[in-house]
Amino acid sequence: MTAPDDDNPFAPRRNTHLVGHEKAERLLLDSWNSGRMHHAWLIAGPPGIGKATLAYRMARFVLAKGGEDQGAGLFGAPPPPESLSVDPEHPAARRIASSGHADLLTIQRTWDEKRKRFKRDLPVDEVRRIAPFLRLTAAEGGWRVVVVDGADQMNPSGQNALLKILEEPPPKALILMAVDNVGAILPTIRSRSRKLHLEPLSEAAVVNLLGRYAPDLDRGDAVALARLSEGSIGRALELHQAGGLDLYRAMLGLLEGMPRLDILAAYKFIDDVLRGNDEASWSAVTELLGWWLQRLARASARQELPPEVVAGEGPLLARLAGPDRRERSLDRWVEVWENTTRLFARADSANLDRRQVLLNALLSIEEAAA
Amino acid sequence: MKITIERAALLRSLGHVQSVVERRNTIPILSNVLLRAENGELALTATDMDLEIVESVPAEIARPGSATAPAHTLYDIARKLPDGSQVELDATGDLLTLRSGRSQFKLGTLPVEDFPAMSGGDMGHRFALSAADLKMLIDRTKFAISTEETRYYLNGIYVHASKTKAGGADVPVLRAVATDGHRLARVEMPLPDGASGIPGVIVPRKTVLEVRKLLDEAADRIEVQLSETKVRFTFDSITLTSKLIDGTFPDYERVIPTGNDKVMEVDPKLFAAAVDRVATISTEKSRAVKLSLDRNVLTLSANSPEAGSATEELEVSYGAAALEIGFNSRYLLDITQQIEGDGARFTMADAGSPTIVRDVADGSALYVLMPMRV
Repeated sequence: MTAPDDDNPFAPRRNTHLVGHEKAERLLLDSWNSGRMHHAWLIAGPPGIGKATLAYRMARFVLAKGGEDQGAGLFGAPPPPESLSVDPEHPAARRIASSGHADLLTIQRTWDEKRKRFKRDLPVDEVRRIAPFLRLTAAEGGWRVVVVDGADQMNPSGQNALLKILEEPPPKALILMAVDNVGAILPTIRSRSRKLHLEPLSEAAVVNLLGRYAPDLDRGDAVALARLSEGSIGRALELHQAGGLDLYRAMLGLLEGMPRLDILAAYKFIDDVLRGNDEASWSAVTELLGWWLQRLARASARQELPPEVVAGEGPLLARLAGPDRRERSLDRWVEVWENTTRLFARADSANLDRRQVLLNALLSIEEAAA
Repeated sequence: MKITIERAALLRSLGHVQSVVERRNTIPILSNVLLRAENGELALTATDMDLEIVESVPAEIARPGSATAPAHTLYDIARKLPDGSQVELDATGDLLTLRSGRSQFKLGTLPVEDFPAMSGGDMGHRFALSAADLKMLIDRTKFAISTEETRYYLNGIYVHASKTKAGGADVPVLRAVATDGHRLARVEMPLPDGASGIPGVIVPRKTVLEVRKLLDEAADRIEVQLSETKVRFTFDSITLTSKLIDGTFPDYERVIPTGNDKVMEVDPKLFAAAVDRVATISTEKSRAVKLSLDRNVLTLSANSPEAGSATEELEVSYGAAALEIGFNSRYLLDITQQIEGDGARFTMADAGSPTIVRDVADGSALYVLMPMRV
């Protein structure tokens, strides 16, 4: 019954450390202090930058402070709170961390015990738990908070189930939705929620956070990971755990020979990556390859090389996307990128042979590089 | 924490509290029972975050303190220990050691701070009533609680203070009302001391059923505490605290007709048996039974295209104009089962209007039933 993040001290439910989203925090706080808190918030932004961490931070603040009497004191009303920060040892924060707070409901993808992974979408049955929860009074007397982590993974019937509640929200109820892709949210939900857009973290912030969450990592690697992850600490950590940096180096070693692909080395690379047959390295390699192609296309469009993630990457990019090839290269790389991402997506949905899919992608790069 | 307690007392308390702990729980702390030892008592707490049960039992306390441990495991151990044995519970660090005779168990615990808090805060209103009265309030209304989720404010019993006319004067009463839109049950009792200013609250179905379970072995006096957001029932050693339904109960007085003039009186037991027999024929879906009334004779009938037809005559006391009216047999049975006296009084207007059913001998309960077209 236990999902892997159950013991992770940095899971958003437990993590009280959030950086880089001061503006968004301020907006939430001002809205709270104004006394007219909107009932539904869409916290949007790329994956792994702290959307859920911000949602839980707000939940912690509301459940810890929201129940406090805000009545006038002897010397006038106390000043409104200045930050969303709550001591992690605060009783409400402890209960939120253990999922034992009776006024907080979390809706997220469920853990599939058989397949050892999270289910692909957020089932409507999970979403339907929200209504009965909000229709009961608060156990601790204050607000009731619902955190929907990955709201864009709800299917349309799930979203419609949520819509019912957003249309007629009970008083003192707060629904915080963390979404990677706002486009996947029905317009009817979007129009009833306040949007809070979070920006990717700065490279320095990711490097700092890596120092905190992965102290064993050396600084050079941390910078490389920060660049690879484009401002997403979540992605940087995922890549780190999946050995993403080594994978990226190996991948570049293979691509180094472009426009010729050493087919034997390619087979060996694929075998190495897919040995173990685990989800993490598969998703890491597809993501990295897609990301690298994207970078190539971008470099070729801008005619300007991005900062190197690993040393020696520049010449390769220059060779493949350099000015002498400009007329044809942009279209071509965009096309290769589109085709490979589509292929990877299909490999997941149609259960294609991963070896063949990877080989196919590499061969299409070779063809485009010629 | 270190205590010694009799196996039977531990087993009985665990039996009470573990019933709210769900077997399959995704949240680890909710599978645990909170043990708190102080002042010569062990308090056991279990919750599903909608309601919480605390039971206190006397125990010999060597070292006060608290811990949380898996409820079902603890219950299973207590169940299997020999009768009459003494159990020692010793919590140190994140381990609970249970010793009894030559058996020893070590169970993992979770921090007490992680355990949900429901009992905090002052409730505001407090009154007491007898177990028999509470039992009556629940038993006579719970069958009418709606299970349909769209009208969630009907998924419980509405408890509030009101006034009723008796002998020309207004008498303050405590009322319990439940309805699912087809039938309504309203039961009242003299207002207990301290209940005059209570807010109207809707007690959720799950809480009602849990309270009813505990009532069977409860002492005679039950204390009720109420606030706008919570209700607490205190039986002698057990305290149940629950969330309420956050909604407005509809103005039910409006649907209780006042101008019905056609009165039928019948023995509820004979009537129920006859309805049950005739309903065998009515279709599974509608369960309709037709009541045809003419001077002191009631003819019950049911028709279904597949099964055929049935009729039964019953002697009743009825003096008004002839009337044909249809009801859902299930609802008729539910209501007549609540009537303990030898007379049920049906007050009707016509085939399309709600009917009132009451016990001839006992005015405390009133039922309203919508007819069906037959």
